[in-house]
Amino acid sequence: MTSAADDVGAGKRGLERFIPSGRTLVILVPLIWLFVFFILPLFLVLKISVSEAALARPPYLPLFEWSDDNFLKFTLNFGNYAYLIEDSLYYKAYLESVTIAFLSTVICLLIGYPMAYYIAKKQGAVRAILLLMIILPFWTSFLLRVYAWIGILKPKGILSSALISLGIIDEPLQLLQTDFATLLGIVYTYLPFMILPLYANLAKLDGTLLEAAADLGSRPIKAFLTVTLPLSIPGIMAGSLLVFIPAVGEFVIPALLGGPDTLMIGRVLWDEFFSNRDWPVASAVAVVMLLLIVLPTMFLRAQQKEEA
Amino acid sequence: MEQQTGSYILNKPWTDPSASPFIRIQNVTKNFGAFTAVDNVSLDIYQGELFCLLGGSGCGKSTLLRMLSGFEDISGGTVEIDGQDMTGVPPYERPVNMMFQSYALFPHMTVMNNIAYGLKRDGMAKADINNRVEEMLSLVQLDQFAKRKPHQLSGGQRQRVALARALAKKPKLLLLDEPLGALDKKLREETQFELVNIQEELGVTFVVVTHDQEEAMTLSTRIGVMDKGRIIQVGEPRDIYEYPQSRFVADFVGSVNLFEGVISTDNEKATGVRSPEAESELRVGHSISCVLNQKVAFAVRPEKIKISRTKPKQKHNVCAGKVDDIAYLGGQSVYLIKLASGKMLRVTTPNTDRRQNAVTWEEDVFVSWDDSAGVVLVS
Repeated sequence: MTSAADDVGAGKRGLERFIPSGRTLVILVPLIWLFVFFILPLFLVLKISVSEAALARPPYLPLFEWSDDNFLKFTLNFGNYAYLIEDSLYYKAYLESVTIAFLSTVICLLIGYPMAYYIAKKQGAVRAILLLMIILPFWTSFLLRVYAWIGILKPKGILSSALISLGIIDEPLQLLQTDFATLLGIVYTYLPFMILPLYANLAKLDGTLLEAAADLGSRPIKAFLTVTLPLSIPGIMAGSLLVFIPAVGEFVIPALLGGPDTLMIGRVLWDEFFSNRDWPVASAVAVVMLLLIVLPTMFLRAQQKEEA
Repeated sequence: MEQQTGSYILNKPWTDPSASPFIRIQNVTKNFGAFTAVDNVSLDIYQGELFCLLGGSGCGKSTLLRMLSGFEDISGGTVEIDGQDMTGVPPYERPVNMMFQSYALFPHMTVMNNIAYGLKRDGMAKADINNRVEEMLSLVQLDQFAKRKPHQLSGGQRQRVALARALAKKPKLLLLDEPLGALDKKLREETQFELVNIQEELGVTFVVVTHDQEEAMTLSTRIGVMDKGRIIQVGEPRDIYEYPQSRFVADFVGSVNLFEGVISTDNEKATGVRSPEAESELRVGHSISCVLNQKVAFAVRPEKIKISRTKPKQKHNVCAGKVDDIAYLGGQSVYLIKLASGKMLRVTTPNTDRRQNAVTWEEDVFVSWDDSAGVVLVS
C-alpha cells in the first residue's frame, strides 16, 4: 500500500470505510465464487481423505471429537494414502490414466497442429466456416456424442456392418470396450481444445518472419522448424494442458467406451465412492490425482517463465 | 533542399553505354487479378549503386522489390541479377538479401542468433559464424547487445540488427523496404548517413524502396520515380529535382509552383509559355522539342523565386502579387504570394540575416526568377 492510498482511506468517514470500492468488488465476486465452489470443496476433500471410514452417515469419522474426559481429540488418518500405495490397483490405474491421457494428447497434437495451421493460413469466410466446424460438436450434448460412438463401434454397429458389406472383413470387429475405443473417444472429444489455442497462436504468426527465413536461405521445411514451430510452443503447451488434464481424470468415456480392463483413475474413483462407499479412500485418490497433474504443470509453467 | 550526401560512384556507370548492368529488369509486369501492380518496367542498376525506388503508396515499388527478392513471381518479362536469369529461382536460392520494413526479426532468438541465422543455413563452420557475427555486430555498433532478444531493443537498435542480419551473408544485392520508415525524424537522419557509410564501405549494391523523397535524395546514387506501376523518370537526385520531366515528378519530388499554359515562343535561344495565371510570359533560356500553342506546364521551385518591393527590370518571369501568408521556419521562411490572377505562389527565402524590414503580410510585392530557374513540362 502506498501512503497515498492510506490517505484516501483516512479521508473516509464512518461507515464509508467498510464499503469496498468498485475495483475491489469486481475482484471480490470471482474470488468468492472460487472460494465457495473450489477452495472450500477442495479442503473438504482433503479433510475426508485423512479421516477414517465408518459405517455411518456420512461414511467417515470426524477429525475433531470431544473425548470422554473433555479433551478435544484430533485424529489424522494417513492410512488411506498408505492403502493407495499398498494396493497395486491404484498404482496401475494412475499409470494407465496418465498413459492414455499422454497418448491422447500426442495424437490430438499430431492431428490438431496441421488442422490449426491450415485454418490459420485461410482468410475470411473460409476461416470462419472451418472454425465453426471445429466448434459445432459442442452444440450437441457430450454424452450424446459418446453414445453415438457406441453406435458406430459396437459389433453390429455402423462401422463393422459397412466393412462386412464391403467384403473387407468377415467377422464383426471388437472395437467397443477396448483401450482403443477409449483413446478414440478422448481424442475425438478433446481435439477442439487442442486446435483452438493452437489456431489462436498460429493466426498471430507474422508471415514476414517466414519470408525473412526464406530470404536468409531456409527452405519451407526448415523455416517451419526454425521459426513457426518454436514460436508456436506456447500454443502447443496450452492445447496439451487443456487435453491432458481433463483426460487424466476422464470418467465417462472409459466407462462407456472402455472395456473391463480399461482401468482409469476416474472410474476407480467412482467405484470407490459409489460402490464401496469408502469416501476417505476415494478422496485420497482424488487428492493424489490432483497433485499428479498440478505439480508437473506448475513446474512447466515456472520453466516457461524463466525462458521468457 | 538538404545537401546531397548520397553515396556516389565516381565513374557513374549509367552514363557509360558499354558498362553492363548488375541488375537488368526487362519489360517486367506483375498482375494481381485484374490489377496491374507493375506495368512493363525496364530498368538497369549497376554494381555498387544505391538505387532508390521512390513513389507513393500503391505505386508498385514494393512489388518490384519483392520480385527482385523472389517473393512474388513475375507475370511477364525477365529479371537478371549478376548475369543470371532469376525466373523460377526461389528466394532461398537467390544471391540477394532483404531488410524488411517491419524488420521481421525472429522474436525467439537473440540478436546473435538472428544475425547467425542465414550463416547457419549455409552450413558454415561454427567458428566462422561466430567471427562473422562479431564482425557484423561491430559494424552496426551493437557488440554489447549480442545476447538480448529483439523485444529488449529500441527501434533504432532493431533496425541495425535487421541490417546486420541482411548483410551477414555478404549478399551481392541488398534490398531495403522503407529501411528508415519506423524511426523518428532525428534518428532517421542519423541513420541515413550510417546506411550510406556502410554501403560505401562494403560496396554492396543497395536497392531501397521509399516514399520519402528527402530520404531518396540523401541516400541514392540514382532515383527511379514510380507512379501507377510505371517508372516515370530515372536519374541522379539533382537531375530529378532540377530537371523533372513531368508534372508528376516535379510535384512529387520537392514542392513546386506549376503554371498551366501554352507555348508562345519557340526558338533556339528560348522557349516561352503564356499562362492565364501569370501576367508576363514565362521563359526558359533554351529550346525544347515542342510546337507553338502546345499545352504545357511551367514549373518553378519555391527557392528559385525572388521577392522584391520594386518592379524588376526583366520583361519575362515576373508577376505582381500580395503577401498572403508567411511561415517562419527558422532557417528559412515560406511566403505565400497571391498573384493578380488569384493563383497562390509558394516562395522560400533563406533567413541569412536578422533583417527587420522583411516583406510582411498584405504587402504588395513582385516575384521574379531567372530564365534558368524554370522548367517547361510537356507531360
